[in-house]
Amino acid sequence: MEKLPPYACGSSEHGMSRRRMLGTLGGAIGFGSLLQPTIAEQIRNHGKRVCLIWLDGGVSQYESWHPLPESKFAGPFRSIKTSIPGIHFSELMPHTAKIAHKISVIRSMETKDPNHSSGVPRVQRGDPLDRGVDYPYLGSAIAKLAGPANPELPPYVWIKPGNGGFIHREAGFLGSKYGALALGDGKPPVHIHRPDSISAEIDDARNVLRQKVNERFKAYRHASEIDAYETSFDLARQLMARKDIFDDTKLSAKDQDRYGSHPLGRHILRARQLLEAGVRFVKVNSYHWDTHGDNFNMSQRLVPQVDQPFAALINDLEDRGMLDHTLVIVMSEFGRTPIINSRLGRDHWPDCWSIGLAGCGIKHGAVIGKTTKDGAFVDGEGYDIGHLFHTIFTLLDINPRKTNYRHKGQKLAIANDECEPIKEVMM
Amino acid sequence: MNIPSLNIKESWVARELKHDRQLFRAQFSSDGKFIAAGGQDKLVYVWELEGEKKTAFNAHKTWVSSLTFHPREKHLFTADYLGVIHCWNYEANSKPQWTISNADRDNVRALIVTPDGKYLISAGDDAIIKVWNPANGKPVAQLEGHKECIFSLAVSPDGKHLVSGDLFGSVLQWNIGDWKPVRKLDAKILHTRLDNFIADVGGVRSLAFSKNGKLLAVGGMKEAKSNAFCPGKPTVLIFDWASGKQKNELGIKGKSDGPFNALRFLDDGTLIGHTEILHANSELTFWKMDAPNPLHSITNGSAYDLSLHPDGRQLLVPTYVSGGASGNGARKQHREKYDPNGTNLKIFNLFAKPPEEEKEN
Repeated sequence: MEKLPPYACGSSEHGMSRRRMLGTLGGAIGFGSLLQPTIAEQIRNHGKRVCLIWLDGGVSQYESWHPLPESKFAGPFRSIKTSIPGIHFSELMPHTAKIAHKISVIRSMETKDPNHSSGVPRVQRGDPLDRGVDYPYLGSAIAKLAGPANPELPPYVWIKPGNGGFIHREAGFLGSKYGALALGDGKPPVHIHRPDSISAEIDDARNVLRQKVNERFKAYRHASEIDAYETSFDLARQLMARKDIFDDTKLSAKDQDRYGSHPLGRHILRARQLLEAGVRFVKVNSYHWDTHGDNFNMSQRLVPQVDQPFAALINDLEDRGMLDHTLVIVMSEFGRTPIINSRLGRDHWPDCWSIGLAGCGIKHGAVIGKTTKDGAFVDGEGYDIGHLFHTIFTLLDINPRKTNYRHKGQKLAIANDECEPIKEVMM
Repeated sequence: MNIPSLNIKESWVARELKHDRQLFRAQFSSDGKFIAAGGQDKLVYVWELEGEKKTAFNAHKTWVSSLTFHPREKHLFTADYLGVIHCWNYEANSKPQWTISNADRDNVRALIVTPDGKYLISAGDDAIIKVWNPANGKPVAQLEGHKECIFSLAVSPDGKHLVSGDLFGSVLQWNIGDWKPVRKLDAKILHTRLDNFIADVGGVRSLAFSKNGKLLAVGGMKEAKSNAFCPGKPTVLIFDWASGKQKNELGIKGKSDGPFNALRFLDDGTLIGHTEILHANSELTFWKMDAPNPLHSITNGSAYDLSLHPDGRQLLVPTYVSGGASGNGARKQHREKYDPNGTNLKIFNLFAKPPEEEKEN
């Protein structure tokens, strides 16, 4: 059997060696013992971080960021004052309204896809121009472009309801090792704890044996498949050394109250722990926001589930001195229709929708984007997802005009070539 | 005028009142001469049926969520999503006679007047039933017992008991007068919360007593599949009022997937219900109580309320009408004309069309 090259693209850049991953921070520091200045200093030393809060299905802009009570498309909820004079959010976001001066809102997102199946990948890939390759999702892109913020920890962790595991499909052409370590329900991988019956020495010896067998196996197989396996194994070993991150007994009851006991609240609190510990990119998914039916009863129950923990996260990151180096984004694949349908729901609406952003060079208290009076359409030029990706990369000190991927010898732009950063939201 | 015999299978639409916004609630006045309706555009509309004069009453600051007429006085009570109740003299077109500004923490989802006209009763998001003096809006009593928002209220035909239904599928019975709780009926099949849901779905969306007071119909939907589309099986549970035991479970013939938001019994014991469906036709359904399957159904757009005329032969159905631009974006082709959906207030005659009208049509 002919030996395959190490990677399909022939590049050695993909390597995120175990040595690099397991490089030290100058001694392990117990998570619970981290003082706020220490965390802030670590972040300065080891780079910026990102938390993407993904409300899968599409949150209604009218029931959240852009209520427009006088619009013919308005829902029934109150519009409330925020901490920015003249700016109102839906009454379903009272906590976020209080911290509006710490965040920015874009009300003129105008994307292309009205369907989930195409909209989710297009938006999470940043809609690059078609180069005939499968582009990575944002978390994988940043794992590749920025690497791990803390070499002891995986660069991309995805907190989601349901099952966890190593999910490599988001990495696209980067190769499976840039996939996401998914924590089902925010819980650590099942086998994070080394059984007492196996000593550390025996465990190390087992690991050496595994690596040898892998090397032999790899010689006749596509390297990326082995990488995915090895990466997941390495990540599990890394987390075994940092199981303190998942010790919820160190969280105060007050902390847990502030984020809420519902899954999204618990998962955003877990995201805070992971960001503090040094994970570069954390995605928190919440499903079932696709409110085609009973939108108003559902929004009344769903929107508060993101409002409270999002505001708590922003406040906590600020208190810890982390907000200036941590970008937080709340978004979906699109917004929801202005028109209310026969099930008192709202359908998919990419034509004019809103997102929230904070930290890492995002302006404080900026609400941008002109819409028609009723909020149905963008008035002027809207922002596509490519503009947002340029903004994100720029804020992370990755120049999207000068940085490229290389794939099979081809130079590939990291963001849509026809877009620019959204300067209105950047400091 | 002779009252025609009920003939459900020959029911027909006798009249339509069109409106360019969605109206969720509509009722006949107690004398049958007026219709009141309210919904998305914050105004309350009153049509005088003779002549079709339409008057708008302006005081609510948000969607109108429920309304009811006084059984004898010329008073209309309307409520909204901000916990406000207004009392109107609907023949005077004046400002509200009185206003309750804090009838609920949020949405007043149900509003009813007892048959003797002595009490106005409201319920909604804060799960507390409130009893008011309909003459002046002063509080009379508060009834606590529900654990989640209340969607529906009904009063027994003898005027002695109130029932209330909530999100979790609890139906509570209360004495009218001393306001003591009496018992709880179990309709929890109408509530769904699967492990992967992030919200509770369903609830007791409608309640109706049979004219003889022997049966209580409890409407909603069961087996919701998600908290996003909220699709379920439209379901009515029939309880024997004396024993409190469930006697029957009724479904529909067609494919609607929303809850029964309204139920009405006719003099002959026929039950009528209406449900909703996304971007398709729903149905108006008729059942006899001795059979689980519908006696008859009429294809109709989604509807959110039903009102029976005092003559017992006309049924008012506020029916959803698509404006043509509904559905998923992108909708740039509709940019110049992108308007909300509307309503057709249909009045069904529940009897056979007289021969002369057949000829005219």
